[in-house]
Amino acid sequence: MKRYYLPLAVLVLIALVWLGILGFLGTDEGTFHGDEFRRPAFDFSLTDHKNRRFSLSDHAGKVVLLNFGFTSCPDICPTTLGMLGEVLDLVGDERVIALFVTVDPERDTVSKLGTYIPFFHDRIVGLTGSHQQIKQVSDACGTFYSKEQETSGGDYLVIHSPAVYLIDPAGKMTLRYPKEKLHPKKIAGDVKRLLL
Amino acid sequence: MSTKNILLVLSLFLLAAPFARGEGEISVKDPWVRRNPPGTSVTAAYMVIENPTAAADELLSVSCGCSASASIHAVEMREGSMIMKEVASVAVPAGISVKLSPGGYHVMLEGLSGDIKESVVLELGFRSGARISVEAPVLSPPAASKRGHRH
Repeated sequence: MKRYYLPLAVLVLIALVWLGILGFLGTDEGTFHGDEFRRPAFDFSLTDHKNRRFSLSDHAGKVVLLNFGFTSCPDICPTTLGMLGEVLDLVGDERVIALFVTVDPERDTVSKLGTYIPFFHDRIVGLTGSHQQIKQVSDACGTFYSKEQETSGGDYLVIHSPAVYLIDPAGKMTLRYPKEKLHPKKIAGDVKRLLL
Repeated sequence: MSTKNILLVLSLFLLAAPFARGEGEISVKDPWVRRNPPGTSVTAAYMVIENPTAAADELLSVSCGCSASASIHAVEMREGSMIMKEVASVAVPAGISVKLSPGGYHVMLEGLSGDIKESVVLELGFRSGARISVEAPVLSPPAASKRGHRH
């Protein structure tokens, strides 16, 4: 039995080294955490939560993280906004901004967004506009939204994409983070790589 | 380990099994409520419901003195988009813990009466007749989003 120990130990060692190399390759070379989502460059103009005109093209050179939501949304929207706030802190660079595009412009006026948005982070921008303007943005992201059933409290909810969309410094949509990929550290990693 | 020892350990497990199940009562762990952002009167409450009993149970009702209405919601995906749907109940099978967490089952609190303070009391009613009252701390980001991560 004893004479097998040394070769066995050597085999285990080799296996461990290989696992290490594979692990290193897996975390580095060429892979983003977000799903590849290449779309042509696009632009849009909306009104921000400080009542200023916001055009995407004015932010060329930055990484833009975009998501849809509405302020009367109790669960997923504040969860995503909190997560985006963490991403902004983790990246710690002025060249990344996060956008919250409302899908409920009737209720989400500029002043409503103005009190809501700063609660999460001072570099998140709340955006509103007409349904036509908002639909342009959601079309560009390949998604949709629509008003839904009344809740027991008498309010209505809006069906919308829970994903976060990443627009690279060249203004091109590059990555998409579906609900199950909304991890702040991993998204921050992608953003840092794009800002190198 | 010899076969005899294995059998001994196995029989001890089998002996202990009936005692491991069916002990204790349904209970609620780690309840929390998301602080509603300024200007909003709606938020959500989360918790883990543990059912160590041998009988299946079901969460049927939730109420909170902090809000005009409290309802149980689940998340539904439709062509990549997402919507909350009110559900009548949440099943809590025997011997299982069920999680109410961001992006999943949650209690929607609508018509909050003013600013909620450090904690709120939630009253839960179950099909078995069990009634549980829990004090849920109110969390703001980043504490709230850290709790929200499902990993």
